[in-house]
Amino acid sequence: MTSRFELTRNITIGQYIPTGSVIHQFEASLKLLSFAILVVGIAICSSYTGNLILLAFSIALFGIARIPIHYGISGIKPALPFMIILSLMQLLFYGQAAQGETTLFQFGFILITTSSVQLVIVSAMRFIEIILVSSVLTLSTSTTEMTHGLEHLLKPLKYIKFPVYEFSLIITIAIRFVPTFAMEMEKLMKAQASRGAEFGTGKWWQIVRKTKDTFPLIIPLFSSAMERAEDLILAMESRCYTPGLKRTSYRQYKIALRDFLLLIITTLFSIFIVFYKFTY
Amino acid sequence: MSEEKIIEIKNLEYIYMQHTPLEHQALSGINMEVNRGECIAIIGHTGSGKSTLIQHLNGLMQPQKGKIIVDGEDLSDSNVDLKALRRKVGLVFQNPESQIFEHLIGDEVAYGPFKLGLPLNEVRKRVKWAMEMVGLSFNEMKDRPTYALSGGQKRKVALAGVLALKPEILVLDEPTAGLDPYSKNELLEKIKKLNREEKITVIFISHNLEEVSFLAHRLYVLANGKNLVDGTPNDLFSNKEILEKYKIGTPDSVDILYKLKDAGFSINPRLFDVSCVAAQIFSILSTYQRRVTDDISV
Repeated sequence: MTSRFELTRNITIGQYIPTGSVIHQFEASLKLLSFAILVVGIAICSSYTGNLILLAFSIALFGIARIPIHYGISGIKPALPFMIILSLMQLLFYGQAAQGETTLFQFGFILITTSSVQLVIVSAMRFIEIILVSSVLTLSTSTTEMTHGLEHLLKPLKYIKFPVYEFSLIITIAIRFVPTFAMEMEKLMKAQASRGAEFGTGKWWQIVRKTKDTFPLIIPLFSSAMERAEDLILAMESRCYTPGLKRTSYRQYKIALRDFLLLIITTLFSIFIVFYKFTY
Repeated sequence: MSEEKIIEIKNLEYIYMQHTPLEHQALSGINMEVNRGECIAIIGHTGSGKSTLIQHLNGLMQPQKGKIIVDGEDLSDSNVDLKALRRKVGLVFQNPESQIFEHLIGDEVAYGPFKLGLPLNEVRKRVKWAMEMVGLSFNEMKDRPTYALSGGQKRKVALAGVLALKPEILVLDEPTAGLDPYSKNELLEKIKKLNREEKITVIFISHNLEEVSFLAHRLYVLANGKNLVDGTPNDLFSNKEILEKYKIGTPDSVDILYKLKDAGFSINPRLFDVSCVAAQIFSILSTYQRRVTDDISV
């Protein structure tokens, strides 16, 4: 039996599974761009067949990246309630907007047509596809690579005086400290539980009590975040960090031919999925 | 000291992040017995499983394999009353001052007793007792803001917060880490008093062997999730083979004695208390006084 305090176990942000597959080796900025294009393709494609192909493709990505599929599934789980509510809403209220289709069921204002059923199924599939694809992206790209990629992509914005380096640094720091704060939180929960605190036992209507229950966690967490921030500033300044200066990086990221191939293939694939007229 | 066992641990094992690529065996077969009223030290290098072990004692972690029996109750039983257990076993984490959240010291210490649902006057009594136990005057300090305290005082407040639950067993994870020498000694005195006078069973983790020999009746040495050796500080520290075999390190006073012994002086390594060491050095000096004075005059 595992401890119910093992918070770090559930943190997937910044989790990286180094299997060294082809997908891991792509350069991060073009990988990100390809990912964005693929997501656009997923978002537009509304046919059953297209989505089945995309779903199969997303699952295949796990195989290519040699990442166990249960990582993707554990990403879907927390989104399930949201997906169910969304599907219900669409099923109940979308029928009116798409009239003139074959009616499957009608009761009062509730109108279910073939197109609203299709919408429900397709959006559920889209959801799963996007979660799977983004899981592969984050699991196969380390946070350093990711922020580097982002920095690379945002570089053109420098011409309109957008602080690209600072922005990517902020993101790096934010991601870097997620596991740290999770550990801190874990320790605080344990410490307060040792003093008789109970978490998650209040009923949902006891809002005041539930809020009060979080004080012993939130307040120390907040103050330690402040202290950490101060320490970090000192540590950075003592290592001569100056905002606005040009910085070089220890690791060089080179874009190779295969990275462009990835981009081109993904783009073509997305165009095909979106524009090809599937029968279903 | 009665010989009644209050804690019994048998073949305890624990794996972190089980069934993930990051899984890590923290405990691989711990065996331990603690008698009521004893003061036990746990020493071991970083990553030897000390902190994981003590989190099992109040049910923050449940044993994956093996058995822990605290005061007759088996903790691997899934319907063990955790609230009652945590009242019985007070656990003070490393750097406990980071858990302080109330504005006033009194409120901070009272958090635990209030959570137990005790009546107000009982809470007040307990807060007073706990604060006095750690050396904070109740009348003077209870209405002071917590943020204005020094590190040592904050730690005392945090310790009082756990003591206010009136635990039978007090478990401390490196209680003196990061304190200045004065606060350190003061805190050690308080812990000793809790154990020797209030008869609270104390288990503490420490890296400081002086501290261990000052406080503990017995100590356990952990490495790689196993307990290697245990015994009284006297037995372990006076046995050079054990010290070297398990890489325990030696308290400074013991170090001095062994150096004197190697230099050919007759000393008793079992008497390594600072005052005893001083006495031994003094007797050596008086024996060799003439030679020493000769050396100086030359």
